[in-house]
Amino acid sequence: MKWRIPLDLRESVAIAIGAIRANKARGTLTTLGIIIGIVAVVLTMTAANGLRNKFRESFSAVGSDVLYVSRMPWVVMNDFFTFRNRPNIDLDEAQRLEVRLRGRAIVNPSMDTGRDVKFSSETMEGVRIIGTTEKQAVISSALPDNGRHLMAFDVNSRRNVCVIGSDVKDGLFGSVNPINKKMKIGRTTFRVIGVMEKQGGSFMGGPNFDRQIYIPITSFVKAFGGRHRREDVNIAVKAPSQEAMSNLEYEVIGEMRQIRGLRPTEPDNFSINKLDTLVGTFNNMMGVVLLVGLIVTSISLFVGAVGVMNIMFVSVTERTREIGVRKAIGATQRSILAQFLCESSAICLMGGLIGIVLATILTAVVNAAVMPASVSWPIVFVAVAVSIGVGIAAGVAPAYRGAKLDPIESLRYE
Amino acid sequence: MIKPMNRPTLLLRDVVKTYLVGTETVRALDGVSLDIARNEYVAIMGPSGSGKSTLMNVIGCLDVPTSGTYELEGERVAAMSQAQLAEIRNRRIGFVFQTFNLLARADILHNVELPLIYGGVARQERRHRAEQALVRVGLADRMKHKPNELSGGQRQRVAIARALVFEPSIILADEPTGNLDTKTGDEIMAMLDDLHDGGQTIILVTHEEYIAEHAQRTIRLRDGVIESDTGAYAGAASPASETASVGAGEVPGVAAMAAGATPA
Repeated sequence: MKWRIPLDLRESVAIAIGAIRANKARGTLTTLGIIIGIVAVVLTMTAANGLRNKFRESFSAVGSDVLYVSRMPWVVMNDFFTFRNRPNIDLDEAQRLEVRLRGRAIVNPSMDTGRDVKFSSETMEGVRIIGTTEKQAVISSALPDNGRHLMAFDVNSRRNVCVIGSDVKDGLFGSVNPINKKMKIGRTTFRVIGVMEKQGGSFMGGPNFDRQIYIPITSFVKAFGGRHRREDVNIAVKAPSQEAMSNLEYEVIGEMRQIRGLRPTEPDNFSINKLDTLVGTFNNMMGVVLLVGLIVTSISLFVGAVGVMNIMFVSVTERTREIGVRKAIGATQRSILAQFLCESSAICLMGGLIGIVLATILTAVVNAAVMPASVSWPIVFVAVAVSIGVGIAAGVAPAYRGAKLDPIESLRYE
Repeated sequence: MIKPMNRPTLLLRDVVKTYLVGTETVRALDGVSLDIARNEYVAIMGPSGSGKSTLMNVIGCLDVPTSGTYELEGERVAAMSQAQLAEIRNRRIGFVFQTFNLLARADILHNVELPLIYGGVARQERRHRAEQALVRVGLADRMKHKPNELSGGQRQRVAIARALVFEPSIILADEPTGNLDTKTGDEIMAMLDDLHDGGQTIILVTHEEYIAEHAQRTIRLRDGVIESDTGAYAGAASPASETASVGAGEVPGVAAMAAGATPA
């Protein structure tokens, strides 16, 4: 006997929709667990996506082909005390590193501090002031969208000029064009020569590249403490290419150890930081978000699936006679199975769609209030797939029971 | 040679069906042998517990015999899988039930289409054939109605249309008038009579004499055996003689089966 498609899918779906329509309230209540589960799925994925995008945006200024030599690692977990006695990196060391790496990489020293800044009656507290050189423009991809960046002569002649971040511009100047305006950084007056483009704000309490001010490093030393050995310089080293990064890291470590005269047995007393370090930390954080999401999702989907399974058992029992009739007129076990699997999938899909709508609304709220987030098509696709999958999983046992019913018994069932 | 006209559509040899009730084995059918030819109109009668429901279930391929042979149009049913039985029920047998057994949520056109859906008939053709069947039972104007909008007689006509739609070998009607008043019952019986006149094989299960009178042949069961058979089909009265008359060559293996399966 040749194999036949047991029942065309459209028919199963039609039966399923009919069955659900006949029991609207029951179906809707049943889907509650699924709805919550799918909301959790969508929100988790949206949050993960949002975090990833935000991360990328916030750290776009930190080039992936740049490594930073600093006293401390960027991410300090619980080993802070091993780092706190390290000597500062001073400008002299930065200079020597630059000389040693000449031709191999671009080296840019920078120093930073927090200062209150003022323009006319407006004050911003604790703005990050970064003393740097004209090479900042090479190190970071961010560019001024008004005015100009620092140039060599600014640095060489220790000019009191500054390039301000977009948040500083908004906070201090409002609608006034800040170019060539004089502002106070700490107690020193600086002239604004440029405004940086927006770089996406702070990521989870991390540095906000929009709330900072670049000044020549020479002016920085003059104004905020170039006292010997008290300066703490960060040295940015830009590799000629992405591929050269890993070699460059070893070279830089080697050069720094020589500069500092470290014996082979001594550990590094400086740290190499790069975007990868942050990416690692970020991935850990993502892992937590995903884990929590997964747990919430699994629990609610499990509860939802049990609810659907229960309702499907009820449905199969209620329709014992219908199953008998269908079998008498030629339904195979497989087509009965397909019918009930379709029904449970349709219930779950309905819950899933409601969940997607709810999650989209919630996401819009989050987007407006917390962080940029949007539900993307791949997420919707996953949510739909998950709800259908849960539907099939929840429907297997009841559908199997229905499929195995004895037609004679079923026809006799009242 | 027996002419194809006379070849039995349905052939049972020593069919035994036992059920286990608790620890006791109940022999619902205790060696039933029976031939029904094409276009016969047979009534199966008997008191409750006589085995007529079981016989109907076996004939309708809802159940397989414990032992014995059942052949439907030359195909041996006993060894078939569930899926094969489903296909037989789908294509070869049209059920008409006492309680109509229509799907309440679907309109009657869909109800009639149902066997065609399970038979994998394409949408267009399926619709056409279902409409034809409904025209045949005089319900052309009710196709979009739900069963609960129809009278009992109309519902049973829908059930007949559903039974007919795949042009089955047999229509198996189980107390088709049991839930109907006498007048409506007569209408339904008239319809079955018409179908029979049109060449359809009909097996009727009933306990009403006046319903059974519509049939040309009446088989009475008692305690799982055939008590009497007005036997329109040649040689069907006694299993032994009839095996010979059907001709072993015509249905290979049947004679051997019949000889081998001696009732205990």
